[in-house]
Amino acid sequence: MPLLRMTTGAFGQLRTFATSSALGKRVKTFAVYRWNPDEPDKKPYTQNFEVDLDDCAPMVLDALLKIKNEMDPTLTFRRSCREGVCGSCAMNIDGVNTLACISHIDQNLSKPTKIYPLPHMYVVKDLVPDLTNFYRQYQSIEPWLQRDNEAVKGKETQLLQDVEDRVKLDGLYECVLCACCSTSCPSYWWNGDKYLGPAVLMQAYRWIIDSRDDAAAKRLSKLKDTYSVYRCHTIMNCTRTCPKGLNPGKAIAQIKTLLSGMVKKEAPIMDPSGLQKQAAQN
Amino acid sequence: MAFSMFLRTPACASQLLSQQVMKLGTQASLKPVQTQRTLNAVNTLKNTLLKSETTPTLNAVRSFRTSAIRMAAAKSDDHSKLWVIERITSAILIPLVPLALMVPNKVFDSLLAVIVVAHSFWGLEAIAVDYVRASLFGPVIPKIAIGLVYLISIATLGGLFYIITHDIGIANSIRQFWSIKSGQKA
Repeated sequence: MPLLRMTTGAFGQLRTFATSSALGKRVKTFAVYRWNPDEPDKKPYTQNFEVDLDDCAPMVLDALLKIKNEMDPTLTFRRSCREGVCGSCAMNIDGVNTLACISHIDQNLSKPTKIYPLPHMYVVKDLVPDLTNFYRQYQSIEPWLQRDNEAVKGKETQLLQDVEDRVKLDGLYECVLCACCSTSCPSYWWNGDKYLGPAVLMQAYRWIIDSRDDAAAKRLSKLKDTYSVYRCHTIMNCTRTCPKGLNPGKAIAQIKTLLSGMVKKEAPIMDPSGLQKQAAQN
Repeated sequence: MAFSMFLRTPACASQLLSQQVMKLGTQASLKPVQTQRTLNAVNTLKNTLLKSETTPTLNAVRSFRTSAIRMAAAKSDDHSKLWVIERITSAILIPLVPLALMVPNKVFDSLLAVIVVAHSFWGLEAIAVDYVRASLFGPVIPKIAIGLVYLISIATLGGLFYIITHDIGIANSIRQFWSIKSGQKA
């Protein structure tokens, strides 16, 4: 017991030593991209901010919030959930597209952490990219369940889906549309106006293979042109950068096999309208 | 509270309404009974306005320009068959290249010439489409680039067939690399 007490004491001392002012503050430099639309003549530049890491929570978003609260209230960026489920704070941190709220601050004090907006996007202000085109592309794939026989209003019944069919959506539905993958894709940089990009294509695939969805053929026929899907050159930056650990590259490959006709969408294990038919019989 | 909430909604954007709200707002501060009435009026106004399809933008918020929307080509060209052919071509090359080198003859040589040129044509075409875009180079240069890809491919195919028909053939030409001796003079 005294031994244990000694060790805790030692650890306690170690901690105070590591954070003591005797060693100097652990000051980290953040080089942040700045651009203000109100000063159109001024070119974009990076501004350095110095943050004491002992006085800051561990994530990059915490540092940005600290900068905004205590140093420069004009610093502009998107953030909401601060825990990686909303996708608002997507930005380029040290050359990697990721969510600021779930990436740790690099503890290496000798190098500044560089923070830029998502690459190759129009910038609204500072770290806020213009996602209008991205959202419109998402809209174009009609990301909702489509049935041949839509239920009559007031008489909707639950649609049935087997557990195995539901498992097929895992790894697809978790996407938060942060646009990290699409903006890391060179093909999307080059032809972002016509190529849909990995994030949108993965959602297209999510609705194509949903066992309850009847519109797979229509959805696929909208993707068969030269640009929408086939500008994917399997560079795989999307899968590498995804902050949620998803695999958009694989989803695009599966769209291509479905489009080729070599692979067909499997029939639902459970009839989705089973309850509806049962209700009609009774 | 409801009134302040209403002021925050985008519905109070149109100038006509803001005038109305100003009028109602100044009246509201006078009598509590009237407040109730004005609130009702505001609510009905709100309901009618919120039903409109487009949400009016708040004048107080400075508007900013977002990128123009240019959607994926609505052209109904079907690339899915071509994609299958591209994959098959690539797959055939894997056994064909060693086979043609091991057994040099005109049939394998011709097959190799056609498939290699087709494979490289699609590769070069992708490079031209990706790097020489109309958004960077204007309307003319991208077409010239695609034309060059066709020209290079046709010239390559012609050249390879010239070797096959008038010379020793592709496979034998490649095999000659191994017969080069060091110190040999051309």
